[in-house]
Amino acid sequence: MREPIWTINRRQMLRQFANGFGMLGLAGLLADEARASSAADNPLAVKAPHYPAKAKRLIFLFMSGGPSHVDTFDPKPRLQRDNGKPLPFEQPKLVRTRTVNLLQSPFKFQKHGQSGIEVSELFPHIARCIDDICVIRSMVADNINHNGACLQMNTGEQAFSRPSLGSWLLYGLGSENQSLPGFVVISPAQPAQGAPLWSSSFLPAAYQGTLVADLNNPINNLKNPQFSHERQKDQLDTLRRLNDLHRQKRQQDSQLNARIASFELAFRMQRHAPEAFDLSGESPATQRLYGLHEKTTEIFGKQCLLARRLVERGVRCVQVYHTQTARRSSCQLWDQHGGLRTELPANCAATDRPIAGLLYDLKARGLLEDTIVLWGGEFGRTPTAEGNDGREHHPFGFTMWLAGAGIKGGLVYGATDEFGWHAVENKVHVHDLHATLLHLMGLHHERLTYRHAGRDYRLTDVHGKVVRDILA
Amino acid sequence: MPRFYQRSPVWSLAVVLLTVSFVRADLSTAEEFFEKEVRPLLVEHCQKCHGDNKPKGGLRLTSRAAVLQGGDSGPAAVAGKPDSSLLIQAVRYNDTPQMPPRRKLSDRQIAILTRWVQLGLPWPQRTGKATTERNETFQITDEQRRFWSFQPLKAVTPPAVRDTAWVKSAIDRFILAALEAKGLRPAKPADKRTLLRRATFDLTGLPPTPEEIEAFLRDNKPDAFARVVDRLLASPAYGERWGRHWLDLVRYTDSFDARGLGGEMDCAEAWRYRDWVVQAFNRDLPYDQFLTDQIAGDLVSSPGGINRDGIIATGFLALGNWGGGDADKEKLLTDIADDQVDVVSRTFLGLTMACARCHDHKFDPISTADYYALAGIFFSTHILANVGPKTNGPPMLRIPLLPSAEVEAYKKAKKPIPYANGAQEGGVPGSPHAGTHDVRIHIRGRYDRLGPLVPRRFPEILAGREQKPITNGSGRLDLARWLTRPDHPLTARVMVNRIWQHHFGEGIVRTPSNFGKLGQPPTHPELLDWLALQFVRSGWSIKQMHRLILSSATYQQSSEAMPPLYPPQNKGNKGEGDPDNLLFGRMNRRRLEAEALRDSLLAVSGRLDRTMGGPAVRDFAVPRRTLYLMTIRSDRSGFGPLFDAADPTAPVEKRTVSTVAPQALFLMNNPFVLAQAQALAKRILAASTNDRARLEYAYILLYGRPPTAEEVHIGLDFLHRAGESERGWVEYGQVLLCANEFSYVD
Repeated sequence: MREPIWTINRRQMLRQFANGFGMLGLAGLLADEARASSAADNPLAVKAPHYPAKAKRLIFLFMSGGPSHVDTFDPKPRLQRDNGKPLPFEQPKLVRTRTVNLLQSPFKFQKHGQSGIEVSELFPHIARCIDDICVIRSMVADNINHNGACLQMNTGEQAFSRPSLGSWLLYGLGSENQSLPGFVVISPAQPAQGAPLWSSSFLPAAYQGTLVADLNNPINNLKNPQFSHERQKDQLDTLRRLNDLHRQKRQQDSQLNARIASFELAFRMQRHAPEAFDLSGESPATQRLYGLHEKTTEIFGKQCLLARRLVERGVRCVQVYHTQTARRSSCQLWDQHGGLRTELPANCAATDRPIAGLLYDLKARGLLEDTIVLWGGEFGRTPTAEGNDGREHHPFGFTMWLAGAGIKGGLVYGATDEFGWHAVENKVHVHDLHATLLHLMGLHHERLTYRHAGRDYRLTDVHGKVVRDILA
Repeated sequence: MPRFYQRSPVWSLAVVLLTVSFVRADLSTAEEFFEKEVRPLLVEHCQKCHGDNKPKGGLRLTSRAAVLQGGDSGPAAVAGKPDSSLLIQAVRYNDTPQMPPRRKLSDRQIAILTRWVQLGLPWPQRTGKATTERNETFQITDEQRRFWSFQPLKAVTPPAVRDTAWVKSAIDRFILAALEAKGLRPAKPADKRTLLRRATFDLTGLPPTPEEIEAFLRDNKPDAFARVVDRLLASPAYGERWGRHWLDLVRYTDSFDARGLGGEMDCAEAWRYRDWVVQAFNRDLPYDQFLTDQIAGDLVSSPGGINRDGIIATGFLALGNWGGGDADKEKLLTDIADDQVDVVSRTFLGLTMACARCHDHKFDPISTADYYALAGIFFSTHILANVGPKTNGPPMLRIPLLPSAEVEAYKKAKKPIPYANGAQEGGVPGSPHAGTHDVRIHIRGRYDRLGPLVPRRFPEILAGREQKPITNGSGRLDLARWLTRPDHPLTARVMVNRIWQHHFGEGIVRTPSNFGKLGQPPTHPELLDWLALQFVRSGWSIKQMHRLILSSATYQQSSEAMPPLYPPQNKGNKGEGDPDNLLFGRMNRRRLEAEALRDSLLAVSGRLDRTMGGPAVRDFAVPRRTLYLMTIRSDRSGFGPLFDAADPTAPVEKRTVSTVAPQALFLMNNPFVLAQAQALAKRILAASTNDRARLEYAYILLYGRPPTAEEVHIGLDFLHRAGESERGWVEYGQVLLCANEFSYVD
């Protein structure tokens, strides 16, 4: 981790990583193909953004369950001082269960990097990347339970079916790799609500996220269990001849052409896609970087490494849900109603090195220049104690962070009050975050619309403001 | 001093400081306090958004009167009572709204505003009066009243046409007249094989069998096709096909969430509703009853005691999507009512009334009052047993499908009691909405910002200003009766358009659940009215509507367009014809939907299990019809979503058709497809002893036609290369299943 490879540029990287070149060459080819096909035939064809943008891809690291902000990225000395005292003001009506007494963080904070941003001791590796990170300490969401909050974080809406962030990105920009799904969700266990979090809802189904739950068998139907490659080639050649005859007897019909093309693409996809999901080709050094050599970090490390491989190949949006550790599998791993002193450190230990490794690796490969990395959960946790070792759900002020394309690193944006309860300075609502992410990707959140059920829908509904202060 | 201040040392300090500076500056009057402290604060932090020009939330903070009058959320302040003043609550960031939104004011600034309210909101006279005439009144314009879909159904005479020989039914006159006006002509009639395949898929979702094809080809009587249609309508497969179309519209699902599969918070009894829908289509339950049962079936009395079917039918209201376990129970209840307003208005009225939840509809003459007048009916109805604990979702209502006397007997005998998920009278027991009642307008859709009470009634644009108040329970039965009035302008139009859409791939109105301003106007308004009137007159018979449509020359056209009659000369067309087929001058080619594709794979392999009904099946390999496979809202990883099956989280009025490589991968490699190819090969091998005859059989079985010489040649060549006969047939059978011809219907 200490080698000064931060300075390696893309060209040097190509020389260093021998297998990288073939891969980039292929990605380029496939991207050309994507551009050549028109949107009418191919819903995933690359589309121009509304304006030139730095970011092309998004990796959303989702800490399912709601990570505590006051124990990770938002230090509150006042909690230390007033530990055990009651919260000195009224709580919002909308709390889930009433927690009364303030609970100091059991974890120490320290300044890091040139920016001197304070990070909890739970994230020693991420702390080293802090100068690339913009920490938003003033996030605000509206829902107090996992389902609604997860839904809002992913779709902007708390109760009803709406297209997810990744689906909007795919709809707005298409995919740069036609051999891979354009929006991949990597989650070993089902997070709250499941598929509605990556649903295309009323957008065409082609924009839906593809779930990879089993890292050993990531994409269905990629391999024929019965026929040899040669026999299948013969099948597809023959299919092409039959389809041509069928087409010749009919007037020009783009849907028939599109379906013929889809089989040819599928045949190539089954050759190239497995390679994208195969982590064994990564050097031992890279595997170590993500923590694949240790049981604690292996699962999330694999998820993060896979995310890098996918964005490297032009996948538009990758969502990485932390839903499994070596010890347990849960839709709400970060839901520390109890076990703040044991479970939270375990979660941090499982994700710290993989996330730092991802940032480091992306940067070394020049990918951080056009990839956004977003970290967070559906909400934070109360500065007040639930029991004596837990915290309740808390959407009124919490932390998320961004790094990469177009983001000002080493910046703290916004603040909660001195107890970490309310966001009081430069509040960033989920809608604002969405507007900002779209902006970074070159899409205007008010112009990216889809007509459905009598009106034009947007990811940000009628809300959202781009948070310009965090843009590089 | 309020307790709030006593508890917070910071607050007390701020107030003290303020008081001190107040005294020391010797501000003798409250007005001066206003000018020095309050006004600059208002100007700097509030009036950018709450000024006279387009104030946010309708709130102007530009005069004392304006503050007292307030905005959408009511008065901004109560003179002398800071703790009851929204303004103060907002700047304290106690709850939403939190103002100013970007950054909390300093403690001192908050103390200033608090003091100002406490002093009674002093504001020197000269600086303003309430200039605010807020435009609260909702008015329907004449233009809106004249909008096409709100007009009564018009009895129209089918128009005259030139090519009378083409006309088989009145429908054809409407279609042909519009084509002729543009210098276009209809396509040639489809050949018998194509027509049979089309009608069989349309009505049953399955391909015709070789025997059915043979029989139809031999039948030269003029009513041969009419008898085919009758046979198909009498098939139980018809209800399975058309029931599925209906389930798309009503966001049907078998389970809300895989994590709680079959539990008390899940809609474990949903399948009974699905079976009821299938049976309703099969027995041609008149549409007015079909509608009534779904909204108020529990209230329709039945001669034999409880109305079992009626209770099951109200599953329509229960299977909503409202985000499960919200801790905010009041929001949960409003979300459920909203889901119901949405599904009822879109499905039956073709109107997007849910748009009026937060504000008057921007495009259609539907006010928030209209919305809450209708919502009151659903607030007075419950589908939950109770609201559930704050930490979890609510348990679904489970209604025993037995007379209460028998319930006890069943319990004693330890017999399983059949239950339904459905709706019952009265708001959720134990909730603020228990019982039947009108509701207040929720300003901006928020239950904590209540406006005036609105009596339960129907939308003014359709039912007029003067309406009899609803006093009969929740009003669901009144709603159903109103919707099924023979002179209702929307109900019949919307439904015949849906039937038409499923026969042609597109409706006469191409936005089938939006007959409002942002929807598409009908391409053939008179035909739509004519069909709607026929529908009502037939006693709302859906099967009659099928017969009417399928007997037309319009339906029986080929999918190949004819060139325009008088190309460039004719004014009506510039030679481009009608590429989008807006005029229905040919049949639209359609791809098999997810269900029809899987069912066809099973049908041609000979493995299709035709057992009807019962709880949903989770194993994809089970050869039941796809309708019976379990849909789970939390799981979108399977076959259905891949092939554009309806997303069960929301009403789907028209499926998208996407063509992506993973679909091809499924057909190339999935074990299910390979198993069907295997079974198909066995079937073909058994049909004959030579490959040429086997190819003939395979083509009839899969495509409903014999192969051409070239196709035979290609097939024999392939089989030769493949070597061993059975394996060769498995491989070739799969090629035929993958071919475009299998997946498209001309």
